This record gives sequence, C-alpha cells and structure tokens, in this order.
Amino acid sequence: MASTVESTTAVTGATSAPKRAPWIDLAQFVVLVVGLFYLAMTGANALNYNWQWYRMPKLLYRVIDGEFVWGPLMEGLFVTFEITAWSLPLAAAIGLTTALLRRSNSFAGRALATGYLQLIRNTPILVQVYIFYFVFAPMFGLGGFWACVLALSFHEGSFAAEIFRAGIESVHKGQWEASDSLGIKRADTYRYVVLPQAIPLMLPPLTSQIVTLIKHSSILSAVAVFDLTTMALDQVAETFMAFEIWLTTGAIYLVVTVTLSVLINLFENRIRRRSQR
Amino acid sequence: MSMPASDRMAPPVRKRVFKITVLDVVVIGAVAVLIGYLIYRVNTELVYHWDWSRVFEYFVYYDEETQSWRKNLLIEGLIILVRICVWAAIFGLVLGLVMGVCRVSDVLLLRLVSRGYVEFVRNIPPVPFFFIMFFFVGNQLLKPLDLTALAQGASPFWQDVFLVIFGETNLLRNFAAAAIALALYEGAYITEIVRAGIQSIERGQWEAGQSLGLSRYQQLRNIILPQAVQRIAPPLANQSIQLIKDSALVSLLSVQELTFMGNEIQATTTRVFETWLTVGAMYFVVCYGLARLFARMERRMGRGRAT
Repeated sequence: MASTVESTTAVTGATSAPKRAPWIDLAQFVVLVVGLFYLAMTGANALNYNWQWYRMPKLLYRVIDGEFVWGPLMEGLFVTFEITAWSLPLAAAIGLTTALLRRSNSFAGRALATGYLQLIRNTPILVQVYIFYFVFAPMFGLGGFWACVLALSFHEGSFAAEIFRAGIESVHKGQWEASDSLGIKRADTYRYVVLPQAIPLMLPPLTSQIVTLIKHSSILSAVAVFDLTTMALDQVAETFMAFEIWLTTGAIYLVVTVTLSVLINLFENRIRRRSQR
Repeated sequence: MSMPASDRMAPPVRKRVFKITVLDVVVIGAVAVLIGYLIYRVNTELVYHWDWSRVFEYFVYYDEETQSWRKNLLIEGLIILVRICVWAAIFGLVLGLVMGVCRVSDVLLLRLVSRGYVEFVRNIPPVPFFFIMFFFVGNQLLKPLDLTALAQGASPFWQDVFLVIFGETNLLRNFAAAAIALALYEGAYITEIVRAGIQSIERGQWEAGQSLGLSRYQQLRNIILPQAVQRIAPPLANQSIQLIKDSALVSLLSVQELTFMGNEIQATTTRVFETWLTVGAMYFVVCYGLARLFARMERRMGRGRAT
C-alpha cells in the first residue's frame, strides 16, 4: 500500500503546497473511520436496535462437553474454500483449453471458444448460476454442489482464458520459428517450447484468481449451497442479528481475501526475483 | 480481439485457408455427442415437455378488457433494470470521479480515504457487500427520510414523474437503497478507471500547468481532465456493461428487475428451463449489443483522432 501511495505522488509530480506531516493525515483518517462507525452505531441505537454481540461467538465456534465444534459461519467458510479449491483447477483447465482452441487452425475450435467467451462475458454471473443450477444440473443429473462448482469454473474460465492468451502471446515469435525450423509439431511446440516459458508469467495472475473466486462464490448463495454467505443469510433469518452477522461475515471475507492478496504478492515478488536472476 | 501485429507477438494462426482438420472433427464430434446426450436426457429420461409459449406470454399479453397489447413481467423487469442502472451509473460516475481525483491528490488524507473505499469494496464479496450496504443505507439513512411519504405527498404531476424515474413509490426506499448500494459498488471500479486515466497523462502536462502559475485544481480541471476523459471513455463504456451484469445482484435485495422476474415466472409457470434460457438470452442481447456498439464507436473515435 505504501509503495502505491508514493508512486502516485511521483507520477503527478512535484507539489506546490508545503507538505504536511503524514501523521496528521493518518490521524484524520482514523478519526474519520471511527466517526463513520460511531454514526452507524448510534443510528442503529436510535432505531432501538438490540445489539447482541455476545451471541456472535456461538456462531463461530462452540465448546460442547469440552469438545470443540465449529459454528455455522465457519462451516460455511470451509464450504467456500471447498468450492474454491475445486473451481480453481477446473477454471484453469477451461481457460487453457479455450486459449489453445482460439489459437488453433480449426474453425470449429475457434468458433466454440469465441462462442463460449461471448456467452460468459455478456450475461450476469447470477443468471449463469441459475442456468447451471436450474437447467444444466437436472439435464445432466448433477447435484447442486457440482452445478455451483461448474458455474463458477466456467465463469472464471473466461478470465483464465485471457490470462493464458496473454501469456502465450508474450512468448517471442522467434521461439515459434525456431521450433518450426526444427520440424517440431505444433502440439510439441506448445508442450516443450511455449508453455514452459509462458506458464511462469501466468502464475501470478492465475493465483490472484483465487481471490476473485472466493468473492464470486458468495453469489452461489442465491441457490442452495451452504457457503459462508448462505450461512449468514440463514442465521440472519433465524436470529435477526442482521448487523452483527453481516459485519462479521464481511470481516471474515476481508481477512481471507486480504491475507491471500498479501501471500500472492509475496509469491509474485519471489517469482520476479527468480526470473531476474 | 485484434492485436497490433508486432515482432514480439507469436504468430496468430498459421493457416486461414478453409480446411477441415483433425481438431475440427474432434470438436464437432464432441459438441454433437454432448447435444445428443442432452436431447436424450431431456426427452427420454426427464420427459420434459418444452412449452416456450408459456414464457413468451410474459413479454407481452393481450388484454381482453381493454382490447390491447400490454407489457408483462419480462418487459417490466427490463424497464426496472434500465432504471436502476441509470441511477447507479449517475451516482457511481460522480462518486468515481471524485474518488478518482482524490486517489491522485497530494493530500495524504484524501488518498487514504479513496484507497480505503476502493479496497473495502474490492475485498468484500458482492453479495455480503450489497446486504451490508442495503441494511445500513436502507435502515439508517433512508428510513428517517421516509421517501414514500415524500413522494406520495407530491403533486400529481410530480407523482407521474416519480413513477417514470423511480417506479412504484411504495417500493421507493427499497429501490433507492439498492441503487445506492450498486452505485457504491461500481464507484470503486470507476475510481480505478479515473485514476488510471489521470495517471496516464504525462507528468510534463502537470509541470507545464504549474509553470504557468495555475493552481493544482486549475491544472486538473483545465489541462489534465480534458485529456484524461478521452482515455477514460472506452473503459468506462465497458464498465457500463459490467454495471448491467452486476445489477442482476439487486434481485437478491427484492428489487423487481429482470432476474427477480425470472424467479417469479419460474415459480408461477414451473417452466424452469425456458424461463432461465429466456432471461439469459435477454441479458446477452442487451450486453452483446452494447459491446458491439461501443467497439464500433471506439473504432470511429480512434479513426477520427488519427486523421
């Protein structure tokens, strides 16, 4: 975060006004955030909202007879992870297939890939989830969970296809020509020459797809799959603690996505350093 | 996607000559098998009787009493979708512009505020974000205002105007809360577009303005933004398509737009397959049409600038 803030100043150039000490701004920012939060809280109190934060831990975990049990929200988080874990490799596979088909010399392959991309890009993900869940799942006899995983995979696959395309196109033309002149077949060129060079470039953007996947998996709560958002909706209906539950759910997602983003940044830096060496 | 031909690029496709390759056979075969299996499943195992007319009635229907064609739920959903998207676009654009300028401000506080806003929106999944905003905005800000009473207390002329631009006044609070939530969501992405546009302007432009003795506001208003707008326009157009797609999520907040109507229709008619395929097709027509239109406008603008 700090580096971006500095770089924005660098781009916009020297400033004419004398600089304030940064801690004044930081303090003001903290005051502003606390103030906003305070306003929201007093507003809720003015509506006679009955805060019941003491009931929240029970939704996260419980200890019954000395035995540790996860609460519904954490159970939901694990389902979210499960969906993400299945969807990520599937989305990567769909993306790679699409990218290769788009570059192939087969007109049917290109038409299929383009059609798929246009269909996914021009419809809302919520409608895609409904179509997979209510139309394709009964047609193919799939369960609800798999319908959701497939809907998410096909949606993210369109983004992954762009990442693969960019990665493949970043490989120098000379590499293709060299392997052509050696008489290597096109499939082998991809396998031994192009993809080994392209994949390290694609890894960082592909891993950041995890964050997108986790965020998009919340949309699956519109159908019956028991991810974190669904659990939150259920618990709101059951306990009427709308504010506490939604704030907690938001915080859980925030912790997960921010942690992942930081990890991915570290990973990216490591790859960059290795490729520079 | 056409890429500029450059030396760095790998060769696109080797042969553009029309020729059936092994891959063609494999792809066509796989698709044929898939479709064949689907038809077998639907007709033989599920014994599903397609009846598109039940769903198509929900576009328009013939009213016997007034002897005229009237719009039905699907068209009404589309109108509400347009309505909420227009409001979200207006608010989101204003918010994104202000926040985007803050993002490159030389005041750290403003940078922190806009950065905090963008990171908050982008790191919380859309559904919890919409619910949080919906509860807070709907219950805290709009409940005391009592918009419905305000709107229903207006003169008949204004009530007609409200009906066109907001929809039913008894659903006004719901509609306004959802529109604000959607605007806050899109605003974060517009902020980043505006920031990228401003930062793409060369530093010399700022310095030139400074050397002329212009204040930072004047530099921004007279020099930077007019140039940035040209670069912001294409991604902003794409964002409007994104807005239409994201607006499907407000159906979860009981705003009666197209996706919500889809749910209603599938419940009343039990024509599940037809309903969702129709709704999906409607979104596709709108978004694909807009995408083609924007691509064409961009080409034309690009040509105009080149000459």
